[in-house]
Amino acid sequence: MAPSNPLANWERLGDSFYRKVSIYDAVFDDDVELENYIVAGAPYGGALALHRDDSKPHRFRDAQTSKSSIDIYSCSGKHIDRIQWEHGIIRGLGWSDKEELLVITEDGTVRRYFGLHGDFTSFSLGNGSEEYGVRACRFWNAGFVALLSNNQLIAVSNYDEPRPKLLAPCPEGEVSSWSLIPPAHTLSRSVEVLLAVDQTIYQVDPTEAEDKGQQNGPFKHASVSPAGRFVALITAEGKVWVVSSDFQSKYSEYDPESRVTPRTVDWCGDDAVVIAWEDEVHLIGPNGVAARYYYDDAVHVIPEFDGVRLLTNDTCEFLHKVNHVTETIFRLGSTSPASVLLDSIDLLEKKSPKADENIQRIRSSLPEAVDMCIKAAGQEFDPYWQKRLLKAASFGKSVLELYNSDEFVDMTEKLRVLKAVRDYHIGLAISYEQYMRLTPEKLIERLVNRHEYLLAIRISEYLQIPADKIYVHWASQKVKVSTVDDEAVCKLIVQRLEGKPGISFELIAQAAYDEGRAHLATQLLNHEPRAGKQVPLLLNMEEDEIALDKAIESGDNDLVSYVLLHLRSKVPLASFFRMINTRPMASALVETTARAEDTELLKDLYYQDDRPIDGSSVLVSEALNETELPRKLEKLHLASRLMADSKDATVVLQQKLLSESSQLLKVQEALDKDLADRSEFLGLSLNETIYRLIRSGYGKRGQKIQSEFKMPEKTYWWLRLRALVAKRDWGELEEVGKSRKSPIGWEPFYNEILGAGNTKLASIFVPKCTNLSVEDKVEMWVKCGMIVKAGEEAFRAKQVNTLELLRTRASGPASTEIERMINQLRPRN
Amino acid sequence: MAPYPASDADYLKDKTRRDLLNLLEGVRGKKNLVLSQDLAGSIGLFVKFSLLQEYGVDRVFLLENTNVDSSQRNVVFLVHAEKSRQVRAVAEQIKRLQRNGNVEHEFSIFWVPRRTLVSNSILEEAGIIGDVNIAELPLYFVPLEQDVLSLELDDSFGDLYLHKDSGCAFLAAKALMDIQQRYGYFPRIIGKGDNARRLADLLLRMRKELDAEESSGLADLAARGLLPSASIESLVIIDREVDFGTPLLTQLTYEGLIDETVGIKHNQADVDTAVVGPTSVPQAQESSKAPQPTPKQGQKRKIQLDASDQLFSQLRDANFAIVGDILNKVARRLESDYETRHAAKSTTELREFVNKLPTYQLEHQSLRVHTNLAEEIMRNTRSDIFRKILGVQQSYAAGADPTDQHEAIDELIARDVPLTTILRLLCLESCMSGGLRPKDLEHFKRQVVQAYGYQHILTFNALEKMELLQPRSSAATLLLPSTSSQTGSKTNYNYLRKNLHLVVEEVSEQDPSDIAYVYSGFAPLSIRLVQCVLQKPYMLSLIRGGATGATPSPASTASPGWLGFEDVVKSARGSTFSIVQKGDDKAVRARQTLSGNNATKTVYVFFLGGITFTEIAALRFLAAQEAPRRKIVICTTSILNGNRMMDAAIEKGTFAKTE
Repeated sequence: MAPSNPLANWERLGDSFYRKVSIYDAVFDDDVELENYIVAGAPYGGALALHRDDSKPHRFRDAQTSKSSIDIYSCSGKHIDRIQWEHGIIRGLGWSDKEELLVITEDGTVRRYFGLHGDFTSFSLGNGSEEYGVRACRFWNAGFVALLSNNQLIAVSNYDEPRPKLLAPCPEGEVSSWSLIPPAHTLSRSVEVLLAVDQTIYQVDPTEAEDKGQQNGPFKHASVSPAGRFVALITAEGKVWVVSSDFQSKYSEYDPESRVTPRTVDWCGDDAVVIAWEDEVHLIGPNGVAARYYYDDAVHVIPEFDGVRLLTNDTCEFLHKVNHVTETIFRLGSTSPASVLLDSIDLLEKKSPKADENIQRIRSSLPEAVDMCIKAAGQEFDPYWQKRLLKAASFGKSVLELYNSDEFVDMTEKLRVLKAVRDYHIGLAISYEQYMRLTPEKLIERLVNRHEYLLAIRISEYLQIPADKIYVHWASQKVKVSTVDDEAVCKLIVQRLEGKPGISFELIAQAAYDEGRAHLATQLLNHEPRAGKQVPLLLNMEEDEIALDKAIESGDNDLVSYVLLHLRSKVPLASFFRMINTRPMASALVETTARAEDTELLKDLYYQDDRPIDGSSVLVSEALNETELPRKLEKLHLASRLMADSKDATVVLQQKLLSESSQLLKVQEALDKDLADRSEFLGLSLNETIYRLIRSGYGKRGQKIQSEFKMPEKTYWWLRLRALVAKRDWGELEEVGKSRKSPIGWEPFYNEILGAGNTKLASIFVPKCTNLSVEDKVEMWVKCGMIVKAGEEAFRAKQVNTLELLRTRASGPASTEIERMINQLRPRN
Repeated sequence: MAPYPASDADYLKDKTRRDLLNLLEGVRGKKNLVLSQDLAGSIGLFVKFSLLQEYGVDRVFLLENTNVDSSQRNVVFLVHAEKSRQVRAVAEQIKRLQRNGNVEHEFSIFWVPRRTLVSNSILEEAGIIGDVNIAELPLYFVPLEQDVLSLELDDSFGDLYLHKDSGCAFLAAKALMDIQQRYGYFPRIIGKGDNARRLADLLLRMRKELDAEESSGLADLAARGLLPSASIESLVIIDREVDFGTPLLTQLTYEGLIDETVGIKHNQADVDTAVVGPTSVPQAQESSKAPQPTPKQGQKRKIQLDASDQLFSQLRDANFAIVGDILNKVARRLESDYETRHAAKSTTELREFVNKLPTYQLEHQSLRVHTNLAEEIMRNTRSDIFRKILGVQQSYAAGADPTDQHEAIDELIARDVPLTTILRLLCLESCMSGGLRPKDLEHFKRQVVQAYGYQHILTFNALEKMELLQPRSSAATLLLPSTSSQTGSKTNYNYLRKNLHLVVEEVSEQDPSDIAYVYSGFAPLSIRLVQCVLQKPYMLSLIRGGATGATPSPASTASPGWLGFEDVVKSARGSTFSIVQKGDDKAVRARQTLSGNNATKTVYVFFLGGITFTEIAALRFLAAQEAPRRKIVICTTSILNGNRMMDAAIEKGTFAKTE
């Protein structure tokens, strides 16, 4: 076949060129009357969804075709799947960039078909959509907006967890046209909508609807450019305006000279607008220059971010702006180095010495020329020119001494992939730029959705991308369609996938389970290495104990809690306890959650497990939480009854302490009644009770309680000392000091009283501290400010040195006194 | 996997900040932020309030105060999803706002550190899961310092040992996986303790699952999965359970003592203004404050305690005994620096001085704060009671007959010292000598419940469950070195004290030569265990010669796990393990030749269940000895001290009438 002219179908539009590339021929059968169909195309050269436009009359053929349906085709016209449609009037038909088909019916039901083969999930728009009905929908790559008949707008911006959200309310009036700005290009980071109402346009975001103050409405079309910078409008007079997206400036105006309003207005890249009627397409560039294309039959325009796909019964074409690289190389009369390099290939093949001459001429800019040829190769759809350009690049870089060939290799790889998927058997009409944006992983996903497993695996191996998902999809499909018995399917799958890492058997098992093949699902699940992944499915399959074991195995306590939560609501208590009994992690979690939320469960658990101490502890904490004293006592009583039969030492002690506790509460209640007009003693500890009694001058009562509760003497003495000091009851302290012996010694008395600042009283206790050393006692006297007494102490012990030290501290009469003592001690000589 | 030049701490700080701000940016317009108490501090460590404001945060509320109002349409919750109580609180507050507000709210919840199934089902139960936007903030490790990464799970100690809930081990494993994914696998995982073993098993399992998940279906094995790291030497996991004794002792480093007396949370201490003066400092301390509502009492002041304060970095790990000296020295140096202004003759010299002025002022402020703080602590440490407590502790640590100290404890109870102190002493005795005699235990139980209230019956039950305070079962078996066949169910301090040289008699606080300086003569067992792995020659010389003089030779060779100490280590509680994570040999060798063998290798030391500041100080001491051959990064579930251990067990309710 003769090479096509690279300049074929170039069209000059202002400063730049546009070209229309024909990708596929003979797309649809003749009996598909494209003009009677609504056509929606998935982005990045994806699949097409066709639905008969009910507003148009059509020829009745037979019962089969007259049934309503949505047909999915590849761009090359290969029929992929048919979805029978009997769910009401379709108001929105669109695609996400994961190639999921969204169908929105009038009553606000959204069906999301994934995987191109009829699997779907559905949700409802709510927010009054049933009542008012959906009028139309607009899509962007990750969501859509629905317009209700009452002008309300509902946005869905995430299909995995759809949350239909109302946008700000919009004024009443006839909506003549509308369009949306995807979230990526708005200031509000949420989707925004341009709504042409009456004369003007409103920009609606989640919080407000802003009037853009236009007068030339009603606008019959409004369309936002891919990057969100411009808006194309069709005015009431049928003119095409291009304005900035904030409506501040108008860039161009074009008169299509047609009284019929165009059917669609779309953007071809960011610089040109495509308006289309049934069989005529105008391409409008900056400053209102335009190119016109005429067709024999109906043409559909499918916008992409870098151009538009034009679809007729016969052809699938791609109209896009000619990349400047391509332009510099192929433009007529181009003398750019890259162009020269390409020419040299011809010369080289003719073995002409001019080839070398040419190379030498562009020597200085050869690296750029090579780069350019590589880039241009990516832009071409025709393998002939791809090869040509790459050959030129190869020739060029062979002349260069140092050249990094990474990009060259990269490009050849990409072109190989592109060639494979553009094949009409596959029918992905994807451009180089689209491929870059889509990423290879997503491309493989699309292949998998088309059940092109072999090609998908080949590509992923070629590009070194994990292929596990392909295998899993294949296996799931196998499970769905195979009719042989479970063992054979399982064996086949396991055999095929053996040694392939990263296979999620859980997903395959899920597919099997969804098909109703539970036995197969269990078998497959056994091959899943990740314990955690198995849990949800196992729960669905009611394999509760295995689910619990797998959850524990994963070590993820969230997962375990989740399983337990599930089980708790499902199985009877006794078997629930039996289940957790042998699994310490599970029972620990049950205990922890029950402690916070369900103490009854906890009590049952402890009873079942025969753990009296724990059981009574629960009751004690309940007693603490009770507000009224009788209830507290009752709970304490119950708590101690629980332990009645045991002879274990700890249990006995706990029981004893509990009864003491009730006793103390009763004593305190009495005290409150007698001594205080409000609750003062209740809830104090025993020590605090006695301390407070002594401090308030009820020493007798304190003593009585001390003996009642068998409080050790030492503790009591300490309490009395601290209480009396706090009360500043010096008289009583002096009285206490008269006793012969103190179980805690007298030093604490000295310290505490001194700490309270009564040096005089403190000093009384110094002589009573008989077991202390002289030095200590001297220090004690000094702290009381009694230097002379300190001196006497030292004198008695005949410590001259200490006396000498004391002398430096003393003043006035004390100093002479010390002097006297020193003199007495000093040997006279 | 490209090596990251930044340290873990910087990387984490940066990443979390970016993650959080991205999430906030996703909520359009002004918003009110609701934080849970425990997160407020962590968030404050890497985002300033002013920055949050730039991202549209109008006001910050605490979840616990349940006072978020309808002043903004957008309400953002930032809450732990692992804690079902908090999740429920969030659900309640959302429902409350939905009910009573006339504003139509837009709710977002950012779950930390991950969205959980349980949180989903709670929201579902509450019927609001469809009304909220849910996202995750994967906040695992919070970098406290360049060398300290903490999960900041305050409840982890109680969860692990009281409730036996190993959730924090799972989070720890996730956090460590993150490190592995950045640098490659830990070539070796060494550990001690049953929970440590569990964590290691989780790591192994996660690695297997990651291999299964991430890898491709390609035949080329080298191209997939991770390799053993070239820059990491090993991961050492120490279970707190192995050494309960150490944190029960009163910490004696400066930072440790601040933590003991006023408490440090998220690098901040709330100190009475009477001690450190009012908040007059507008820079440094204030600006990095956590986004919290203004303190109501006005009597507490937040003091930032981290490496940004030069003086503090000098003081923090020193024994408190020499803090006074350091402060004096600094004060004198500052003064002489100040004096240089008189010496300045030319204008350039003068300008130089003026340029330095801000640093002087900052230093001056910090000096004032720390002097006051040190004085306050000194007041405490000089007291009769403190000395008595310390005496009891040191006698226990040294292994003297514990019954000698009982009288002192009785006295302390009668003198109404805080309950935590008493319990710490009792638990310390139980840990160090394998339990209390049943008679003594009964005596103290009675004493404590009488002195502090009968509700503490529950406290004792909890302590027993945590195996912190136990009756001595059969004394004979415990005092002997455990036979080599079984791993101990309790840590035998008596045996280890001798064989790991825990007590170092003459320790110089001024110029320490052994980690024992942090407790003035007692070397933390936990750190000794780390030394058994990292500093084998030193440990051997310690045990053989018993002399403290030998300095660890920095040339200690690569450490094959517990080699040489297997028998000794068996006397500590729980399982002992050393796992080598193998990778493709060829790739490893290739890496090694590429990176060279003499590069600094990092050792991650993970303390499961918490670490004290003294232990951090001791580890830093090790790190200084090992530099530049090794770098030690300390990881933990939370910062712990004896009081916090006791708080996990102490019953908070009382029998008083509740209003």
